[in-house]
Amino acid sequence: MPLKIINRKGNSILDLDFGFNLINMIIKYILVLFTSVLVLAFGLPKNILKKVNKEIKNTFNVEQFQLNSKTFPSNIADVLPASFGDDNLFEIKTNDNLLGYAYVSKAESKTDHFDYLILFDKDFIIVKSKVLAYREDYGGEIGSKRWLKQFIGKSQSDTLIYGDNIMAISGATISVRSMTSAINNVLSSIKILHQKNLL
Amino acid sequence: MKNALLSVAILVSSLGFSQTKSKDSIATNNIQQNAVNTILSSKYKRGVTIGGYGQVDYNQPEGKNGELDVHRFIMFLGYKFSERVQFVTEIEYEHVKELFVEQAFLSYNVSDNINIRGGLMLVPMGIVNEFHEPTTFNGVERPSVDKSIVPSTWREIGIGVTGRFNEISLRYQAYIFNGFASINDGKVLGGSNGLRNGRQKGAESIINTPNFAGKLDYYGIAGLRLGLSGYFGRTQAEDEVQEIDGADIGVTMLGFDARYVNRRFSARGQYTQALLSDTKAYNTLNGSDLGSELKGWYAEVAYNLLPLSKEQKLDAFVRYEKYDTHAATKDAGIARNLAYNRNEWTTGLSYHVAPGAVVKADYQILDNAIENNKSKGQFNFGFGFWF
Repeated sequence: MPLKIINRKGNSILDLDFGFNLINMIIKYILVLFTSVLVLAFGLPKNILKKVNKEIKNTFNVEQFQLNSKTFPSNIADVLPASFGDDNLFEIKTNDNLLGYAYVSKAESKTDHFDYLILFDKDFIIVKSKVLAYREDYGGEIGSKRWLKQFIGKSQSDTLIYGDNIMAISGATISVRSMTSAINNVLSSIKILHQKNLL
Repeated sequence: MKNALLSVAILVSSLGFSQTKSKDSIATNNIQQNAVNTILSSKYKRGVTIGGYGQVDYNQPEGKNGELDVHRFIMFLGYKFSERVQFVTEIEYEHVKELFVEQAFLSYNVSDNINIRGGLMLVPMGIVNEFHEPTTFNGVERPSVDKSIVPSTWREIGIGVTGRFNEISLRYQAYIFNGFASINDGKVLGGSNGLRNGRQKGAESIINTPNFAGKLDYYGIAGLRLGLSGYFGRTQAEDEVQEIDGADIGVTMLGFDARYVNRRFSARGQYTQALLSDTKAYNTLNGSDLGSELKGWYAEVAYNLLPLSKEQKLDAFVRYEKYDTHAATKDAGIARNLAYNRNEWTTGLSYHVAPGAVVKADYQILDNAIENNKSKGQFNFGFGFWF
């Protein structure tokens, strides 16, 4: 079977040789979807998933919803500025009704990493951003609800510049830069995925 | 069809798994790790973190010989035992030959808002005592207020709680610390540097009265950060003398600080006041000239001369400081020395060649309140780093 399986970023992802016919392509997408729903959608750590769920409930004002992992072919995902593995982008749905998207990932602080969440509406405009877990003392100010508000309304057409359209915080320079460039990378990845008609 | 798909899926996953394994065991450059990689990647989840900061200075007073100094070099070492438990230490070389442990504490993360910490920690007072990495302040030397009034780097052994409330943009710290020594290796607290000689720095430090230190930081207004610090307690005396009048003094220190950033403009300021009680008896017993009040403030403005789109930063700044270690002397039973009522102008450039590396140059005019005192000039040049 001329299947090629590439493993980068620790994800096992299918890739197919060029020249595969349409049927194989369809099987591939079904497989990716199949495995993601079955296994990978639950790959987020429990405490992180709990916080993600809470934010979705509050932001979209819903009690019940499904989170479906949205993945992309590895040859595309691997070259995006932000990571788009199995546990990064999720569709938020209620009864097959699309509410928006959730993006969960990690970024670096001074000596550790932190987990953050971006909630998008259906048009990929940011409706909420949140630091889910911050693990060191330096730079924890980026968790400030007030500071994170500035990302609301930003979309793929925006470029965030630290200190310019994103306010600096004294004593948190490294984390502010990190969070700003992380969100920038997510937004430009979404732009690329849009251009490739994958979103 | 469904069953067929499932078996394909299982087959594929097992293929994927074996592929991962085999890749791991052969020397491909995308999986194999060396020791440095292990340390670097171990900052994720658990393991060792390394870092450091330091500064090399050239000080040139007018009409005197200059000084070249590896002022300080600090190695940061952290270990994460679990998601909740960390150990952090900073090992410091001062002037090349003096070795100190600047911080060494164990931290336990109880919940999102609460951490318990114990060990050798920084006393949260003002800006620079906590944020003392050379890339975080302008000027080759730290502000003098943060030397003579707040004796930075001020650290003692203690235990306390710290955390944040993101909803209201508030950070809090509250600690029980060991205090200053009344007499430290024969050195007494005195007029010129106030409490500075009393720092025990966690080295076989003596304790008979615990001290309290706390700070609140509010960062809920865009670009602005405000701090309110308090320190209350008494100095520590040796067993043999602790009942004698003047064996110790009471210390109450209050501080207010503000930092502001808006695009290329930044500003900061600090006010610190220390009220010392029982200084008269202390001065009589020890033949010292410790004032009953220490007071100081500074204000600084800076402007980045480079566009914000650049990663580099070139801050031109000016700072004015006024501080007096003899702000009150009547209750201390001593004569006021106006030479201790000092003021300083510092102006210069901080060239951040990359985030974490800075080259600094400044000129200082040092003066005091003595009538007709001739102010002294000093040129400073140096570099600092933080990684």
